[in-house]
Amino acid sequence: MVDANATFIAIAMMASIVYLTRVTGYFIGLQLRHIRGIQPVLEALPGCAFMAILAPAVRQGSISEILAMACVVLIMWRTNNVVIATGVGMAVLLFGGPFLDTG
Amino acid sequence: MTTWHSAQLGIRTSGDYFVSTFLFGLMFGIAAAASGIENWHALLMSASVFTASGQFAALEFWTAPLPLGTIALSVALVSSRNLLLGMAMTHHFDGHSLRRRIVWLFLLNDPGVVNSFRMQEDVDRLGYVTGYGVSMMTSWLCSTFLGLNAAYLFANLDLGAVDFAGPLVMATMMMLFFKGSKSRPAPWIVSGIIALILFELGSADYLILLGSVLGGMIVAIVQVRRDYG
Repeated sequence: MVDANATFIAIAMMASIVYLTRVTGYFIGLQLRHIRGIQPVLEALPGCAFMAILAPAVRQGSISEILAMACVVLIMWRTNNVVIATGVGMAVLLFGGPFLDTG
Repeated sequence: MTTWHSAQLGIRTSGDYFVSTFLFGLMFGIAAAASGIENWHALLMSASVFTASGQFAALEFWTAPLPLGTIALSVALVSSRNLLLGMAMTHHFDGHSLRRRIVWLFLLNDPGVVNSFRMQEDVDRLGYVTGYGVSMMTSWLCSTFLGLNAAYLFANLDLGAVDFAGPLVMATMMMLFFKGSKSRPAPWIVSGIIALILFELGSADYLILLGSVLGGMIVAIVQVRRDYG
């Protein structure tokens, strides 16, 4: 059992770290904003971060996970509906996994 | 559009991610209960940390004595994409006092940033992202509470199948970004390719993130230089 003091310290530390990541990126951007043409470079960054996480996740994914990802991308492409896309993806994971990922 | 109306717009347009955040909050509550954290500690964590990936990462190490250094490092690594979200909003939070920007950045959130790029020019981006964040926070806290109190119902449920839910939700954001942002896709494609190469080489997660973001950034800079002649 983790004691209460250690829990408080851990939560305060986590909150500080996450908040610092939120603020620091913005202030780094403020230091760079005078550079001509920097805006499109900065605005491309979140997409790069998403791809850096998504590409390896798909590469090591099982058949059902890759199929779920394909469904999500296709539905988003056609409808932009996050709830339907995520719902279908989750359904593929939950119900397709036992059949598709055998062996 | 005023800041207040933009915040309201953020809340109104956050329905889709309210639902998916609710799902993650539910899972976090269940996982936190299984880890033996007291309910109000878990709620305090959700209210003050407000990041799904970071909180799940911390839970993996939640044993006595708490390995604070390891928790700090893993939370910092999975939250490092916030740096890029903040940088992306550099030109969009103008017109507000520094104090307001510093305080409201607490609610900076991925779907809010992604969706703000799809809004019309007259929308106040800081108000919009903050309104979106208020909605996400509400969903996150309510679902954490529900997950903590309903954990016993899911005691025998294998949540392993939904581990991939995070990448799925991230893919929805990437698609919104792809379709709604004015940025051209070449930096993202290069980032994805570099991430795959580094992954195949067995690189650590932080190196994959760093390498692919740097690669994407270089491509974006080359594009800009070409545009400016």
